[in-house]
Amino acid sequence: MATQLSVLDPGKPHVFIEPAKRINEGQDVSRFLVSSAYRDITLFLVQLNRAMFPRKDGLEAVAHMPESSAISKLQGLLKAIDKVVDDVPLDPGTHRFGNTAFRKWYQVLEERSLQLLKDHLPETVIDFPHENGIASIQELKAYLLGSFGSAQRLDYGTGHELSFLAFVASIWKLGGFAPSNEGSEERSIVLNVIEPYLAIVRKLILKYSLEPAGSHGVWGLDDHFFLPYILGSAQYGPAITDSDSTPIEGSSPRAPDPGGVVKANIVAQERHGNLYFGAIGFIYDVKKGPFWEHSPTLFDISGVRAGWAKINKGMLKMYNAEVLSKFPVVQHFPFGSLFSFEGDTEAQEPVFSVHMASQPRQENSTSSGTDGIPSTMAPWARNSSNTTRMPAPTALPTRSVGSNVIGRSNPIETRLPVVSPNDSAFVPMKAPWAKKG
Amino acid sequence: MSNLDKAIAELRACRIIPENEVRELCFKARELLIEEGNVVQVDAPVTICGDIHGQFHDLIELFRVGGDVPDTNYLFMGDFVDRGFYSIESFLLLLCLKVRYPDRITLIRGNHESRQITTVYGFYDECLRKYGSANVWRYCCEVFDYLALGAIVLGTSTRLERVPSISDTQQTEDLTPTEDDTELEILNADNVITARFSRNRRRQVMDPTELTSSSPSSSPIQSTPIRNGPAGTGATSDSNGSIGNNGGAVFCVHGGLSPLVETIDMIRLLDRKQEVPHEGAMCDLLWSDPDDIEGWGLSPRGAGFLFGANIVKRFNHFNDLSLVARAHQLVMEGFKEMFDSSIVTVWSAPNYCYRCGNVAAILELGEDTSNGGTIARSNGDVGRSLGDSAFQNLQLPAEPRPGPGRRYRVFAAAPQDYKGMPAKKPVADYFLVSRFCRLGKKRQR
Repeated sequence: MATQLSVLDPGKPHVFIEPAKRINEGQDVSRFLVSSAYRDITLFLVQLNRAMFPRKDGLEAVAHMPESSAISKLQGLLKAIDKVVDDVPLDPGTHRFGNTAFRKWYQVLEERSLQLLKDHLPETVIDFPHENGIASIQELKAYLLGSFGSAQRLDYGTGHELSFLAFVASIWKLGGFAPSNEGSEERSIVLNVIEPYLAIVRKLILKYSLEPAGSHGVWGLDDHFFLPYILGSAQYGPAITDSDSTPIEGSSPRAPDPGGVVKANIVAQERHGNLYFGAIGFIYDVKKGPFWEHSPTLFDISGVRAGWAKINKGMLKMYNAEVLSKFPVVQHFPFGSLFSFEGDTEAQEPVFSVHMASQPRQENSTSSGTDGIPSTMAPWARNSSNTTRMPAPTALPTRSVGSNVIGRSNPIETRLPVVSPNDSAFVPMKAPWAKKG
Repeated sequence: MSNLDKAIAELRACRIIPENEVRELCFKARELLIEEGNVVQVDAPVTICGDIHGQFHDLIELFRVGGDVPDTNYLFMGDFVDRGFYSIESFLLLLCLKVRYPDRITLIRGNHESRQITTVYGFYDECLRKYGSANVWRYCCEVFDYLALGAIVLGTSTRLERVPSISDTQQTEDLTPTEDDTELEILNADNVITARFSRNRRRQVMDPTELTSSSPSSSPIQSTPIRNGPAGTGATSDSNGSIGNNGGAVFCVHGGLSPLVETIDMIRLLDRKQEVPHEGAMCDLLWSDPDDIEGWGLSPRGAGFLFGANIVKRFNHFNDLSLVARAHQLVMEGFKEMFDSSIVTVWSAPNYCYRCGNVAAILELGEDTSNGGTIARSNGDVGRSLGDSAFQNLQLPAEPRPGPGRRYRVFAAAPQDYKGMPAKKPVADYFLVSRFCRLGKKRQR
């Protein structure tokens, strides 16, 4: 039985906390990696990921299963948000890049957010019993508003994507979703909530020319997204039953060859039924030029011979290292009661599924400044060493992950990254300020 | 020399050169660059270029549009590397040309010419991928430390010499060549003039939206110049005209100004041979951005500052400059003049990151030949003998000095021929079980 993110007891009043930024310097990232927030987010991601593998009973083939009421309601929420995109026209005139009308869009969303949440979330979630004056909606609102890019910087990256994952996970924790039957509810969450969310974000990116937050150009995995590569590769994995462990190699016989990412016809054919190819399709939409040149990381990954499950496992590891462990990405994440910055008492114990079990220990955080939300402050002032030592349930040889930095997605405009001072690759080249921290 | 020419030929063909040659090249380049001041003096005519970011094919297109080295005198304002797929080829080609024709090409440092930034934004990864080790990255980073921080272009002309242009023969009515008063001219990649603006006369208005947006109908008297240049320009019509032929000195820097730098001389005093610091004058020069604010502001980049029109005008006046040319920010039209043409952003990476849909531009400044080519004016040292206190008392003149004639050549991304696909490289460790596996895989393929 797969591990699940636990649901709060609705019989017990909960103390909600107005979410606040807690990651202010590089060292805080290492605290984050042993926090209960980190545990819950990774747990929920692994739970969703597992649910996307095909089932031997063919259950997953039914793409639009009868949805739980929570999922229909969330679809209503996303439709309402999508309508705001249509409602806010572009600002005329010349713009350096992003269109400033996005700020209006965001303002409208902000103004409507409480009402939208009240209208579209299950009552049990909205009225979750609480002890102090703060209701669940305060926490939910913070994650929802963090999900659609930065109004100030007119950009979108994996930090915003992470915020939406937390939003959905919050609803899960508050018991908003139906009890899962062999992953059916999770699968429905991915296909009927996360995928429409991604569609809205793509629409926002195209309409308002949002910059990729923290872009590494061709050297990132993707300019904006990460989750669809995880969830979409799982869709092509070998079929499982509820008692199987999550596969780490092999593919479904129906899956296309990973090399199909360079073939326009395969991409066109697969992009509507698979999240991985959906993301690749968006790259095709926005980028001109040979795929191997503008997306060398995805191109290299398409040469993995051990199947989609292998790619899936790699994506999870990479997400952990390149998104969750990067200061510029996670620094804006707000922590409340549902995702608490407090230490996870079991952090050193294996609390992950088999997937997460084989994470390499990270000796160093290297070049951060990746994917996702770029820093708005001088991040180098907050350097730390050994920021990203994460709990590795099984002993694995220690290895630096960052030195083969491939795949971090990322602004058209450069922000200063955080670099760990003690990355072995750079010892002879230490920057003068590296001793700080 | 022949080795160098061979390397240039290789690099022009977008092929990397062996590591030992890179080492030798970088050594020679450092010997050359160490002799340059922090602010290089460059004589007009010169073609000023902005960010390249490893877009090799577009760099070749730039040379096609602007003329080849050494026929054209070039000044590149940094950000050669990162983000694009061909940072190595692009930077090494520029470096080879620098070593081969030191007087015909000037390279100054951008914020991406830094160890810290290149480890994050791609150049480091690219070196590992293409050479299998970080050595080439190390050699290049050593060169970065020697790159000048800015340049000052002297001997520019207020006039734009006519270039043979197709539009001259086509005789487009609106674009009939003017006399000597052309201040700004825009050409496309096919050498066709697409816009031209003169100093003395009210401009031909190319973009009606620009006119309506900048001329308040309620005000009968124009207190400020009508900005009737095309989108992206701040070209004004009421400079005093061709009172002289000298366009004044142009300061070129990657990012912008610094609150710590009042005079060009203060830049000359910096110790530049180091990694780009996180703060201070050197950092600001490479990181700052102009913005529609008063005075100085915090930069959302986390380094450098934002600075407003008054800062630029003050700086230009105190240093007897007519223009600041900088790069550092993507602009959709390839160039953007701001603050009554006291500063311009030049961006030379078309369709940036394969997706931004922008065009690129280069800026040509002509040579003032009226004094037989001698340079009679400022080198940015104005007021030096008066001491620093003199600057506090200087008043801005009512009219800024006439700037140089500016010819922008605008070009789009180079059409690329699909020459098949390269072999897939071994993927990152995330996708491997162990190193043994990786080796096994390599052999399989």
